[in-house]
Amino acid sequence: MLAQVLVSSITAGAVYALIALGFVLIHKGTGVVHFGYGDQVTFGAYLVLIGQAFIGLRFDVAVAGALVASVLLGAIIYLAFMWPLRNASLLARIIASLALGTVLREFLRSYMGPNAWPFPFLLSSTSVPVGGVLIVPANLAIVGVAIAVLVALYLIFDRTIYGKAILAACENSTGASLVGVHVSTVFLLIWILASVLATVAGILVAPLLTLSPDMGLIGIKGFTAAVLGGFNSLPGAVAGGIALGILEALAGTYVSSALKDMISYAILIAVILVRPQGLFGELTLKKV
Amino acid sequence: MSILSVCGLEKGKVWRMSSFKTAIASALAAVALSAAPLSAQEPGVSDKSIKIGILGSLTGPLAIFGTGNLAGATIAFEEANAAGGINGRQIEWVSLDDESSPPKGIAAFKRLVDQEKVFAIFGPGASAVGQALIPSFKASKTPVFISVFSTPAVTEPPIRTVFRTGPMNDRQQGIAIADYVIEHLKAKKISLIRQTDEYGKRGGEAVVARLKELNVALANEEVFNLTDTDFTAQLTRTIKAEPDVLIIYGYPNPSAIITRQAKQLGLKAKIMGANSAGSRKYPEIVGEAAAGTQNIVTLQVLPEGNDPAAVKFRAAFEKRFPDLARQGRPDLGDVLAYGGGLAFVDALKRAGDKPTQESFIKALEGLKDFQTGLTLPTTFSAERREGNVAARIVEVQSDLSRKLLPAVVQDKSASK
Repeated sequence: MLAQVLVSSITAGAVYALIALGFVLIHKGTGVVHFGYGDQVTFGAYLVLIGQAFIGLRFDVAVAGALVASVLLGAIIYLAFMWPLRNASLLARIIASLALGTVLREFLRSYMGPNAWPFPFLLSSTSVPVGGVLIVPANLAIVGVAIAVLVALYLIFDRTIYGKAILAACENSTGASLVGVHVSTVFLLIWILASVLATVAGILVAPLLTLSPDMGLIGIKGFTAAVLGGFNSLPGAVAGGIALGILEALAGTYVSSALKDMISYAILIAVILVRPQGLFGELTLKKV
Repeated sequence: MSILSVCGLEKGKVWRMSSFKTAIASALAAVALSAAPLSAQEPGVSDKSIKIGILGSLTGPLAIFGTGNLAGATIAFEEANAAGGINGRQIEWVSLDDESSPPKGIAAFKRLVDQEKVFAIFGPGASAVGQALIPSFKASKTPVFISVFSTPAVTEPPIRTVFRTGPMNDRQQGIAIADYVIEHLKAKKISLIRQTDEYGKRGGEAVVARLKELNVALANEEVFNLTDTDFTAQLTRTIKAEPDVLIIYGYPNPSAIITRQAKQLGLKAKIMGANSAGSRKYPEIVGEAAAGTQNIVTLQVLPEGNDPAAVKFRAAFEKRFPDLARQGRPDLGDVLAYGGGLAFVDALKRAGDKPTQESFIKALEGLKDFQTGLTLPTTFSAERREGNVAARIVEVQSDLSRKLLPAVVQDKSASK
């Protein structure tokens, strides 16, 4: 039983990890904690549905269309909300991100209805026995994509000059401008990248979680995973997600299904108390 | 809180609004009409109109219930007005959104009673709001008619002014499900998985209590939180218990995930769900794992079916609310509210030429076996406030269509 529980919990963990990656990307790149990110993930999946059900596109074409639309959405979020608020306090920008999530969610509820919608799995959802445990190919896709996204983002941030420019722009925007980094363009690219990532995550998790306007509630778990991993660490986001999934499953198996959220969050608080920088984060020292 | 629609209807003239959104948009334009002089004696009654408040969650997570409440009532009231109204009076209505918030529901109720001075209230649409309103119901003389939500708290113990028909309450549903799986599915070993909130607790506890009465031991009982996404631990224990039937008492989204994961993990038991899994899109949401599952549904016919009553209602709904039809409606909540709306209108007509809130309550108490062809029959009495105590069973077919089974289950202990 334990082996099956652990295997299944990795899928739940990968879902949290995918969303945590978005939180970390935006925070690492722009300094903002985007509390509406869970709703943006939901919106991404609905973009596919709108293309498929209302415009009559084929599923693959609808996915491509949704990815293009999410590029636009990312650009709009930055240009219409975050750029005008660039000199506002961090709190104001965080509240703006929360409001943005509410706008997206309630738009979906009004336009697409409050009911859930069917959404296809990318791979088969029928389980296959492998070495004594049951594996679901559709769930493997989520784990695989979470790891692929992690590797891609890690390479961008660590191995390319653009990645280093992004980090510089976030660390010290004035200094970055002085050495020739176009900070606004960097921030625009981050919001676009995060928006595309949200849509990829939405497409993968919608069939698993059931697509409805409230699917974005999963953002809380993604946020928790990001905190657990250290909010600025991309590998930490994935490790935090998987760790949260496993913690929940073990708490649900050995203690109580009803109390598993409480137990998981209590462990989170304990981790933060002992390691405020999270599992993979580094303490930053500001020298004066 | 926002006024979402205030529809004043002149005698013999029905407003045709092309969509749900236009119904909302026309709210302010119609405010003037709703300010018609009222009779000094009775709230909401003038020579030409009767003013009704429609309360429900139109935004927020409970909108799934409130939008159905508004849409179903709107069609029932417009049809009544088109057919000449209520003994010469047209129905006017003010719709308020409680935004899925119990405190806002209380404020909206107060506004409908004190400021809008409505004759009666149709709604609210969600259990959480209805339960919070119990003290307000008790403190008010305004009749309240519920047709979508199912918490037993508003009818057990009964409140004189509060009537419900349509959904069986969760306690009665739990009893009916337990009876059905034993009598019809001949289950010997039964497992239960339920939500940890009020909804799952009420229904789940009723299942457990009924099984105990019938001396059938529960194979195992599991719980889950509304936001859970992985049910492997609960389902692995359930599979180990080898039940014939697994009863799921939860909202549609977790129920769908549980059904899918149960099949993935190899559960062989028959899956039986509650009324909340009664949405017409539910089988598609679950996917192929839904084939063969059953759930309780408190309707006479399915909204997507070929029964003449369903076809007629679907056509009327699609014409009146094309933007909701695009979302795969009418669905369970729309039909329940329409059926409730018809019973409400019938009692309004029988409340006399000079209707009072008291005569309306008497007229509601006089409803006996009221049939709509869509919803199950309604019977109230001087003591009884739960109009419908029966339900039917839906089985999902291999092509994911839904089929109504002949069995009608009911809470046999319900008062006559």
